Amino acid sequence: MTAARNCFAYQLLALKRSLVLSLAACLSVAGCKKPLPPHTIGIALDVGGRGDQSFNDGALRGLEAMAAGVRSTAHGYETLSDAEFQALLPADMMPVSHLPIPSPLVLSGKAQEDYEPNLQLLIDQGVELTIAVGFMMEPAVRAVSARNEKAKFLLLDSPVLDAAGKKPVTRANVRAVTFREQEGSFLAGALAGELTKSGKIGFVGGMQLPLILKFEAGFRAGVRAVNPAAEKNMLVAYTGTFDDEKKGVEVGGDLYARGCDIVFHAAGLDGLGVIKAAERANKLVIGVDSDQSKVAPRNVLTSMVKHVDIAVYQAVADELEGRFTGGDQSLGLKESGVGLAPIGGDVIPAINNEAKAGAIADVEKLRTAIVDGHIIVPGTIAELARFTALQPETFGLNNVPGEIAAVPAPLPAGATSPKPTAAPAKK
Amino acid sequence: MSPLAQTLLDALHALLEFAPPLVLAALGGVLSEKSGVVNIGLEGMMRFGAFFAAAVAIGTGNPWLGLVAGALAGATSAALHALLSLRYRADQVVSGIALNLVAMSLVTFLLEAIFGSAGVSPPSPQLPRIFGHSALTWLAVVLPLAMHWIFTRTALGLRIRAVGEHPRAAATAGVSVLKLRALCVIGSGALAGLGGATLSIGILGQFDVRMPAGQGFMALAAMIFGKWTPLGAAAACVFFALAEVVQRSLSLTFHAADLHLEGLFLALPYALTLLLLALSRGRTRAPAADGVPYDPEGR
Repeated sequence: MTAARNCFAYQLLALKRSLVLSLAACLSVAGCKKPLPPHTIGIALDVGGRGDQSFNDGALRGLEAMAAGVRSTAHGYETLSDAEFQALLPADMMPVSHLPIPSPLVLSGKAQEDYEPNLQLLIDQGVELTIAVGFMMEPAVRAVSARNEKAKFLLLDSPVLDAAGKKPVTRANVRAVTFREQEGSFLAGALAGELTKSGKIGFVGGMQLPLILKFEAGFRAGVRAVNPAAEKNMLVAYTGTFDDEKKGVEVGGDLYARGCDIVFHAAGLDGLGVIKAAERANKLVIGVDSDQSKVAPRNVLTSMVKHVDIAVYQAVADELEGRFTGGDQSLGLKESGVGLAPIGGDVIPAINNEAKAGAIADVEKLRTAIVDGHIIVPGTIAELARFTALQPETFGLNNVPGEIAAVPAPLPAGATSPKPTAAPAKK
Repeated sequence: MSPLAQTLLDALHALLEFAPPLVLAALGGVLSEKSGVVNIGLEGMMRFGAFFAAAVAIGTGNPWLGLVAGALAGATSAALHALLSLRYRADQVVSGIALNLVAMSLVTFLLEAIFGSAGVSPPSPQLPRIFGHSALTWLAVVLPLAMHWIFTRTALGLRIRAVGEHPRAAATAGVSVLKLRALCVIGSGALAGLGGATLSIGILGQFDVRMPAGQGFMALAAMIFGKWTPLGAAAACVFFALAEVVQRSLSLTFHAADLHLEGLFLALPYALTLLLLALSRGRTRAPAADGVPYDPEGR
């Protein structure tokens, strides 16, 4: 009898011990609410996820490498050496040391319905700033930021919209960063327009959404600015998805088969397929979001880089220094929010270094003109329709293809300084 | 070369490049269902095949080993389907759907665990190209004919068909129904795995997390469209692929993007398929015992 009672008592004790143990375990494992070290930053990725070599990777670079100074490996975070850290920084960024923050929390959404729970999870973990990557996150940020008024958010690539999802609004606790992709795309277009040999340039978009149309409009305007004939011949295709690489290979292959020698893609994961198609066709491709030259060094002419990394780094730095504010930010060439990656791609033998150097010089002149507000780049197809070719002498371009001479150049009388070319012109 | 000839040549090239994953998976479907086992898990088997082909090719640096691994991975997952639906007589549709779900999550997990990426794997070695196309392309050209020959001209083919039409009669004639069905299901998985491997180490040279992006279901549709025959299924796959080629060509020619009609054009292949299905007449019949569990003790 006593033996039995002892046994029972022992079991109780064991139960108690295991409870204590599991509580202790709970404290050390994510899932229970536990005060995090100060300045923990959380980031929620969209379906592209880590490794998209594009937008998500750009945001991760800003947070992990630039802000926290760490690298993600299969076994967790490793601290970057000083040399590695310096090598990561974009050329136009002041040398800085990384910020005193612990390793960030990263959540990856596998589908649209994951975004809201992921954001809420980060907030429940007690992160100081939650970063939502990609315009697909907007509805989730809209809902979660309204529920958690004290939490702070950085939303990339979209403004916050009103309840109906139509009109942009500002929220005090959300910093919404958008990019003027059309400006960077314009430079990509001008470069392609000057370097094309076949006179045929291609554009591959993912879904035909306003965001992607900004790329298309800017790119076409850039081609038109320096090579109107090539813009007339231009082939534009949309894959209808952002996550089917095979579609990118197919559509890209079509464009190269139809004579395009330079193709610009804004198609997420499909875009990697377009780069594959360029490799196969031995032609040039212009990457997007991050510098994609590593994917195919011989074929990637340049990339229209969105400095998501800098936007993320800036927001984290602001938060640490107590300067974080909500509201909208629009980043273009002027703010170094977009730009072209270093020019590479040496597969087409006829494009010699001289032609490249000339085109690069011209692109730089156009960049200055945009930064100074002399060129206003169209961001929609409707604006594109009103955009007219540039007069080469206006900006001192030296490398413009012959066709441009054929374009009538009605300079406004008395124009001494360069004029904005986006002014509505009848066509 | 005249523009028309060039266009046709481009179309043929695109067909040889992009139809094989679909053809191989659809043949897998035919093999399984001919023997009387519904295989809705083609998508999942393709996914396993695509992933393990890429993973092994990256790990060993040898795409041929990757190819073997892809087929084995597909076959192994199919063996599970065979075990559940034959040994334990589970509902074959449910078992197949479960397999798809497991493949979706498990492969995503493995991608992160092995390559630390939620998006794409590192580039993998690619299969060498023979006459401009991967070796699997030519397998996909030959295999429908070979399977047709096996089904119509050999004793094995006759047995497989018998097992799918009237298992009890086949059993009376001394055929081991469950064993033969299991073999067919496993073979089906191997074919679907090869189809997946075509995507990862044949066409793209890497695995991406969305693979095979619905191709397994398209293969299933092609199998039904092709009336459960190898030649029919292969023809249906070619038709699907051709419809996409035509769609892309049309939308470029007519500048669909400028007209904001891209969505309409993208739906064209599917609309065309629906139309043809509605118009196609004649005997479209699944094997009589397709999806019916076989109980040797039953009556």
